[in-house]
Amino acid sequence: MKVKFFATIREHTGSREIDVAEQGCGSVGGLLQHLCSLYGRELCSLLLEDGKLGSKIIVLVNGRNVVHLQGMDTPLEKDDEVSIFPVVAGG
Amino acid sequence: MFGWTGNLLRVNLTDGTIKKEALCPKDAEMYLGARGLATKIMMDEVDPKVDPLSEENKLIFMTGPLTGTFASSGGRYEVVAKAPLTGTIGASNSGGHFGPELKYAGYDGIIFEGRAEKPVYLWIEDDNVELRDALHLWGKNVFETTDTVLAETAEDARVACIGPGGEKMVLFAGVLNDRNRAAGRSGLGAVMGSKNLKAVAVKGSKSIKVADPEGFMEACTDARTKLKEHPVTGGGLPTYGTQILINILNQSGALPTRNWRDGGIFEEAEGISGETLAEKYLVRNKGCFGCNIGCGRITRIPEGKFKSFGEGPEYEAGWALGACCGVGDLEAVSKANFICNELGIDPITTGATIACAMEMYEKGILTEEEVGRAIPFGDAEALVELTRMIGLREGFGDVLAEGSYRMASKYGCPELSMSVKKQEMPAYDARGVQGMGLEYATSNRGGCHVRGYLTSPEILGIPEKLDPLVTEGKAGWLKIFQDLTAVVDSAGICLFTTFAIGLPEISSMLRTATGINATDEEILKAGERIWNLERMFNIKAGFTAADDTLPPRLLKEPLQSGPAKGKVVDLEKMLPEYYEVRGWGADGVPTAEKLQDLSIG
Repeated sequence: MKVKFFATIREHTGSREIDVAEQGCGSVGGLLQHLCSLYGRELCSLLLEDGKLGSKIIVLVNGRNVVHLQGMDTPLEKDDEVSIFPVVAGG
Repeated sequence: MFGWTGNLLRVNLTDGTIKKEALCPKDAEMYLGARGLATKIMMDEVDPKVDPLSEENKLIFMTGPLTGTFASSGGRYEVVAKAPLTGTIGASNSGGHFGPELKYAGYDGIIFEGRAEKPVYLWIEDDNVELRDALHLWGKNVFETTDTVLAETAEDARVACIGPGGEKMVLFAGVLNDRNRAAGRSGLGAVMGSKNLKAVAVKGSKSIKVADPEGFMEACTDARTKLKEHPVTGGGLPTYGTQILINILNQSGALPTRNWRDGGIFEEAEGISGETLAEKYLVRNKGCFGCNIGCGRITRIPEGKFKSFGEGPEYEAGWALGACCGVGDLEAVSKANFICNELGIDPITTGATIACAMEMYEKGILTEEEVGRAIPFGDAEALVELTRMIGLREGFGDVLAEGSYRMASKYGCPELSMSVKKQEMPAYDARGVQGMGLEYATSNRGGCHVRGYLTSPEILGIPEKLDPLVTEGKAGWLKIFQDLTAVVDSAGICLFTTFAIGLPEISSMLRTATGINATDEEILKAGERIWNLERMFNIKAGFTAADDTLPPRLLKEPLQSGPAKGKVVDLEKMLPEYYEVRGWGADGVPTAEKLQDLSIG
């Protein structure tokens, strides 16, 4: 499964994208926990707030915001692509 | 008056007379300022059926009651006229420092009438106002014009002007102020050119009085604190600029690619993204007057064939000159953007028109012989060269300078123009962002994103998270966004403040600045009044519900990939709901009851 990082999230990960094996990442919640263990507390405080999806990030699975899917319970398959953004705007 | 200066300048370019007039306090309270007030004057004084490039059209520069005050991002003003690109009311908003300076000189706005026999510019220094010869400026680009006018007036004056694009009446020429800030859309620079008005320079030494200084400071400080603390206005925008949106729209499958032909995913998006801009080319960010966001980009392309220095690109420009043309080279995109600023043309319509020509070329409708070169999608050099040719109306640029709709119609394929009411749509594929489809179709100035930016809730989750693929509820949301945007534009503050603050904060600043005794709801109703007045102008100009539509590509060709695969815009469902929410008839015309309720006579 491919996980892509954008904007300020890259400052925490040091990379634009990584491949994540399936184990322990059966859902968005599982993936975010996994990323916490990979990148540490600072990024984790953005990804998760009291165990819930962080309010200052946007997580897309195959282009769909997970809040319009099943949130933290959104299932992940090995061919899925996950994109993680900070809250952004412009226009 | 408080907030407003209470004075307008009326400049008749035909006979050279200049008059100072009092602003009508009732109009100010009902229409606030800038976009609203100027539209009211247009409605009162100009026949909506007038030829936009004739001397019967008027050109209005108007500030708002918060322009030039301590209100955060209170540097905005509006240029308003009947627009040559669309034939609708044209209203384009710009930042920088020109608007505040006009108020410091003692004026809320300037109404230009008629047409000068020879090129002129207007020089305002407080109460001394004069028209000066501008023959020596004709042909100069925006930067040369600005420098020359400053040398002839005062080095700390502020200048708004047109470039060759406006002089040659490119139908999407803009008015540029402070060199790189643009009232860019719908061709208001062409109206200025048609009047032989090259520039306006202003220097003021007066102050703006507010009704409740203590309350106003409190309201502004509250707004400024919220802007600073918000992750978008205090973080993402200063760091990456508006170009930050390239990647999220692309990942959402809604970044229109190659004239919207190839869906919403551009394979080279990362190369033109805000992240790449910040990493490779950004010199520093820049804010307009009184802004604590600072989204502007100062950019340098240090070497190579596109070596250059300038401001931008912003998201819409970066998309139009980039993904829409299939160009993934940010150096070329930046260079083309700088040329747009120098020559004074709108980069959105420029890029989208070139993209339309590229598709026509690939279909064999346009030939190399006709254009003067091959123009396949992705050709960075063609992009830069065509941009220059448009601004100068040189060669095939003369055809492109009419915009994509007129160009494509000339060759019998108007359906390839990705425009609404002849103005090119910006950077959101509405098949993947349904509310934006309704927004484009109903915008009072044609294809546009800053009349009711539903991308904010649909993609960015601000202020709430709406599913971009559903249509339910979008009409109601759009009405609120359109009305609030009219308030923001008319107040004289930047639309970007609304990522962090809303109606309560804006109303609080307006009340304490002006002393008007209006509730939040009444202020939002002023926005609704402005929206309906614009609609009435367009109806009187000849527009009907049949014009509230989208290019066939968005209504009939489903997206082939991404999260919105299989989707077209379900406008048929949303539009009747919208008319109903607006209190209009099924024919899209505001009812007599609605107009009476809004006190539109």
